[in-house]
Amino acid sequence: MLDLIREIETDLEDGWEAASRVELQTAEHTRRAVARFTRALWITLAIMLVFNSERLVTWVNGFGVGPVQDTVVALSVAWNERMLASGFAEPSVAARGKINELRGASWAEFELRVDSERARAREGARLLRGGLGGGPG
Amino acid sequence: MLFPTIEFGIFFLIVFTVSWAARWTPHWRKLVLLAASYFFYGWWDWRFMGLLLLSTFINYTAGLGLARTAHPALRKLIVMLAVTGGLAILGFFKYYGFFLTSLSTLLEMAGLERDLPFMQVILPVGISFFTFQGISYVVDVYRGHVRAERSLANVMLYISFFPQLVAGPIVRAADFLPQLHRAPVLTRAHVGVGTVLILSGLAKKMLIANYLATELVDPVFFDPTAVSALDLLIGVYGYAIQIYCDFSGYSDIAIGVAALLGYRFLENFNQPYRASSLQDFWRRWHISLSTWLRDYLYKPLGGNRHGEARTYRNLFLTMFLGGIWHGAAWTFVFWGAFHGAMLGIERYVRRRLDEFAPPNSEAGGFTSAIGHGAQHIVGVFWTFHLVCFAWIFFRADSFATAGSYLAGFARWSDPSQYATPFLVGLIVLAMIFQFTPRDLGRWLAQGLQWLPSPVLGLIFGGGVWLIWAIAPEGVAPFIYFQF
Repeated sequence: MLDLIREIETDLEDGWEAASRVELQTAEHTRRAVARFTRALWITLAIMLVFNSERLVTWVNGFGVGPVQDTVVALSVAWNERMLASGFAEPSVAARGKINELRGASWAEFELRVDSERARAREGARLLRGGLGGGPG
Repeated sequence: MLFPTIEFGIFFLIVFTVSWAARWTPHWRKLVLLAASYFFYGWWDWRFMGLLLLSTFINYTAGLGLARTAHPALRKLIVMLAVTGGLAILGFFKYYGFFLTSLSTLLEMAGLERDLPFMQVILPVGISFFTFQGISYVVDVYRGHVRAERSLANVMLYISFFPQLVAGPIVRAADFLPQLHRAPVLTRAHVGVGTVLILSGLAKKMLIANYLATELVDPVFFDPTAVSALDLLIGVYGYAIQIYCDFSGYSDIAIGVAALLGYRFLENFNQPYRASSLQDFWRRWHISLSTWLRDYLYKPLGGNRHGEARTYRNLFLTMFLGGIWHGAAWTFVFWGAFHGAMLGIERYVRRRLDEFAPPNSEAGGFTSAIGHGAQHIVGVFWTFHLVCFAWIFFRADSFATAGSYLAGFARWSDPSQYATPFLVGLIVLAMIFQFTPRDLGRWLAQGLQWLPSPVLGLIFGGGVWLIWAIAPEGVAPFIYFQF
């Protein structure tokens, strides 16, 4: 909205002939691109606040001591507890668990995993063939 | 303030919003970006903001001086004074301790011990980068590639612009200053490119570089005598990938952030480990530094215009000084000298081979294509391993550590501790991306640029969330901050 008002003011100040059609179009494209990425940034912020509240607590705990900082820490902790209770922190925990599993895997476990994936693929292919063939047997 | 932190996220959100809100008055917009850049720099140590200002003022004054005089000798003198001033500041902060330590050792060896004025000099972050940008400005004005700026704010913003301030890419005055004279523009293409580069940069740094650093490279280089030859081999491959992902990740984020603010930086890395020769490697690795050294050092030294012997000397000197630029240590000197010597040898061998079998005299056809393919594969393999050999000296804290590292390659019978599927997988994954189509990032950006903003937000936010969720705890500083 502020952008729009500003745009009208600029037009009135400079007069229509001051800006070419191309310049006006470019300015309009820029306005739209800025608005578009601003929305994307706010969505990103919301996703981080909801799904990554644990790291928010880690971050605010690095602040110094003082009345404002203590309030921020208390709010962040309360927010994180709410997110944990609502289950929003679970995807982060699951992703971290998965990566830790990968980090700790030995070559023997890796081979086992590859074998089980292969077996699953074979099973899938068998079922698919059965389905196409009109059923097993 | 590091890029992959909450602080930077908040900082960027504010700068993006305020700078674009101020786009109707370009002068105010530049001042907003300038204030943001000095704030960004002062976040580390506000005392060095004065140094940044001093360096800028020297170059700005030199630019004005060059604009006002046409006398060749006076113009040369102005350039010489400005370049010497910049290099003197860089030299004091970066090489003072190194110089005195080396002098003290030398005197000790000669039996002439003296009390030398040792001081604890803190190295200001990004000093090498902003000094080189300042030199670029003065020399470009001198050569007539760019007009001297009357506006101090423009020169200040060019030298201190926060995306590239502390670890590059080194932006040329002739590339950046003309952008400050145009109305700021943000297109769908900028948004697509910015999104892809920021996500790829975060993934490279926070996932690949940080995991390889903490779980492989740091322990292996800490004590190379305690691990097997296989671990040492994986360790140096890991370091090659770590330094690439760390530095190119920073460059990606810097270029992406600049694009989202409406400015275009040139690419800094182009899949360097697919290079089939050292010359090719230096066209792909830290492109902004290698082209800077080429244009402001190699060519002024004479380049390849004064015969074979002078060309080899110039190549060697350029790489030698490039090595010293990286850091005040003999290991960096060796690294630069090694690259310089190998580039010379490569050039010599290629010229002799071309004389023996000129490239255009070869028969075409299938056999020739196979021959070229095999030659290329051998070239890529050989170049990668030469570069890895030099990385050992670049990463090692001393020649003794590098020596232990190399000696350890005899211990093939020892069991490996670090060759886990996860770490090997990270190295393989990063190497695969060295051989993917060059335009992969551009295609992804083109795909993103037409998405509606909620979908774009979900992809960007989801990407950032996933990277943060699976990255190791804590944020390691970027390797190139120390240079």
